Amino acid sequence: MNWLSRFVSGTRPELPAAAAAKIAQWQEGERGDHAHPHFETRYVVVNTEATGLNLDKDRLLAVAAIAIEGRSLKPSNALYRPLDDDPADGLADLLEFAGHAPWVVFNASFNRKLLERVFEARCDFEPDVTWMDLQWLMPALFPEFHTGQVRLVDWMESFGVETFQRHHALGDAYAIAQLLMAALGRAHDTGAINARSLVEIERSRRWNHRTV
Amino acid sequence: MNTQAAEMLQGASLDFLRRHSPFDRMEPEALGFMAERLVLVFHARDSVILSPEMGQVRHLHIVQRGKVLARQAGSVSMTEYSALTMGPGECFPIGAISAHRPSTNTYIAVEDSFCFQLAAEDFMQLMEMSPVFHLFCTKYIASLLNQSREQLQSQFAQRAAEQQTMTTPLGQLINREPVHVAPEVTSREALEHMAQHRVGCLVIADAERRPLGIITQSDLLERVILAGFDLARPVTDLMTGSPHMLGSSASAYDAALEMATHGVRHLLVLDGDRRLKGVVSERDLFSLQRIGLRQIRAGIENADDLDAMRQASRDIRQLALNLIAQGIGSEQLTQFISALNDALTRRLIELQLEKHDLQELDFCWLAFGSEGRHEQTLSTDQDNGIIFAVPEGADSDALKQQILSFARAVNEDLAACGFPLCKGNIMASNPDLCLTLEQWQRRFVAWINEPDPQALLNATIFFDFRALYGNELWSDQLRTYLLSRARDNSAFLRMMAGNALSAQPPLGRIRDFVTDDDPVHPGTIDLKKVGARLFVDAARILSLRTGVAASSTVERLRQAGRKIGIATDETSAVIEGFNFIQLLRLRSQHLDTEHDAPGDNRVNPDRLNELDRRILKEAFRQARKLQTRLKLDYQL
Repeated sequence: MNWLSRFVSGTRPELPAAAAAKIAQWQEGERGDHAHPHFETRYVVVNTEATGLNLDKDRLLAVAAIAIEGRSLKPSNALYRPLDDDPADGLADLLEFAGHAPWVVFNASFNRKLLERVFEARCDFEPDVTWMDLQWLMPALFPEFHTGQVRLVDWMESFGVETFQRHHALGDAYAIAQLLMAALGRAHDTGAINARSLVEIERSRRWNHRTV
Repeated sequence: MNTQAAEMLQGASLDFLRRHSPFDRMEPEALGFMAERLVLVFHARDSVILSPEMGQVRHLHIVQRGKVLARQAGSVSMTEYSALTMGPGECFPIGAISAHRPSTNTYIAVEDSFCFQLAAEDFMQLMEMSPVFHLFCTKYIASLLNQSREQLQSQFAQRAAEQQTMTTPLGQLINREPVHVAPEVTSREALEHMAQHRVGCLVIADAERRPLGIITQSDLLERVILAGFDLARPVTDLMTGSPHMLGSSASAYDAALEMATHGVRHLLVLDGDRRLKGVVSERDLFSLQRIGLRQIRAGIENADDLDAMRQASRDIRQLALNLIAQGIGSEQLTQFISALNDALTRRLIELQLEKHDLQELDFCWLAFGSEGRHEQTLSTDQDNGIIFAVPEGADSDALKQQILSFARAVNEDLAACGFPLCKGNIMASNPDLCLTLEQWQRRFVAWINEPDPQALLNATIFFDFRALYGNELWSDQLRTYLLSRARDNSAFLRMMAGNALSAQPPLGRIRDFVTDDDPVHPGTIDLKKVGARLFVDAARILSLRTGVAASSTVERLRQAGRKIGIATDETSAVIEGFNFIQLLRLRSQHLDTEHDAPGDNRVNPDRLNELDRRILKEAFRQARKLQTRLKLDYQL
């Protein structure tokens, strides 16, 4: 029995007013074309913390997000939201903070999927955002370090990146954000000058590495 | 954006800061202030983080991870200190950001690197709120002083290209084994030994090669031939005992100074065990310089008329120019000028004593003011006086008249040799300054007990006295007397402090420097009036208060600072500041001399290069620090 099942259609309770307002505002917001140079683009690293790694059984405990703007990281430009019993307010805050910037995750197959499921179950929609997965982008940009889809800890070691707490939504997000800055630097130097081209790189890499 | 996230991320920055100096010692509020404002930025390998072209520096950068190379940009890049690598915890560009200027260096990431940035306004605020950080930055900037000296050196290097450096260690100058004999040999054997080895100088050393004495060729005429010396006597009867010696790591400059000070032509060089390693002669040093000390010294010693003395005086100036080109610091340089000027003055006094038939006079020739402090630059006018004793039964008035006419002649000779007559008539030929010890003591105590403005002004000139010729006993007694009186009189010291604070360092609130509105020299700073004087005055008060007998500003600061417990680092920073201002004064005088313009003490800060300007500002800050101490000490 999934912890979300109590929100499944029919029994789904009304969204709290504040959350509903934030969601409505988000849905009306303008989607960017992601064609601006990295320096002028706001990227948001999104990360989750769950009771485990099983999408079907485990529950989402917290969401975290760190914005990279002007290719730099400001501690005040971040969000950490432990989720209440009803995740609606937390999800609305995430939408409000992350907006329609590209959402950058490490390991989309878990983080993105988990978020999408929770949004779907509680809010009845999947956010139509531009996702990027550093687990795929990093080896494409830095083949000198790793060529495959290695773990976050491997990339942290390669760049000497540290964080204040591993396996914590914000703690890992901090490490991912630093990797993103490195990625944007390399992307810029190799001619992938905007978010759109990064999305393209990730897509072609996924295509080339698709499991046959 | 919620506070929980911000706090956690700031915590991460704090963790980082606490692992690195100077942040690990910083006050908690200051650290919190920083952590709230630090922004993390990535710099890809080989990318330029900061360069002079980027204009006024907007951030302090702290390396979080990776390596950053600092490279001196532009015209000064040939100097040694040009490249420097920085790792985690190190910050840049402290000097430029403090001075609101573009960086002089180019900073390049040599690895993929992350740096924290702190906005320039936050940096300034942090300096104000954190004494630890402030001290750190101040020290850092002070270390730039040495770099400036090197830069100065390269500026003059072209003119001195053919000259070997005076900083060469003596060990490297020695090119042959020293010729030495045991103390047991007879004088005849010793002289035969000299002749056999064709040397002008023989060392007498014990079995351990520890030098006991020296014989030089020039001694022979007087001591052997004219004196009809019995050559069967032991060499120890003939030699000059306690020869002048230096370690082999001492520089050629040290040797030159030693020779100039003591009027000797040979120095023994010792190894680490104090054993004889070699002999350095003036000739060896002469080969290092166009205008040698030998000539100047010999010129002074052999001069028996004014023309020869004038030539010697010109040579001293030229030598000073050469020395500055060789990168000698201002403290040593002024000492050097001082030593040679002293020799010159002494010779002039000797010549006039003969002429005035005063060889028997028991007196002491005093130097005051900058000469008294050993801080003469090249355009200092003369400040001197006399203490004399009246022999029992002598007519003191008649004696004084005789001394005054002698003093007037010396003053005029000095003027002819390039030391202008003192406009304030502070000269030995002034009857008020040619006094007995008791009279001097009465004058001094009158100034101390009734410190009216004139008395305070007098104190700033006359209390910096030292003996230049004659019986030093007199000046020692005067010093002891002065120190005991001044020390007991805190009201006087307080007045002195008030007087010292009447001039302030020309630091502006908006612009870096407040320049003079003097119509003749617009846009300039008088480095004497609002620069060197601030240090000199404060040092004098400190020395009187602590009973330090030294008359030089640097020594006064060192000794008095130690006594009242000023941290050594702090004192060194103040001294560096003072020396830098002195160096600028000397430099402007030298450059002026070459253009035949009158030397003055003015500098136009806009015409200084970036580094010098920044250091000058720091030097003035040091003066302000010293003044703040006076204010606190005397509650002014």
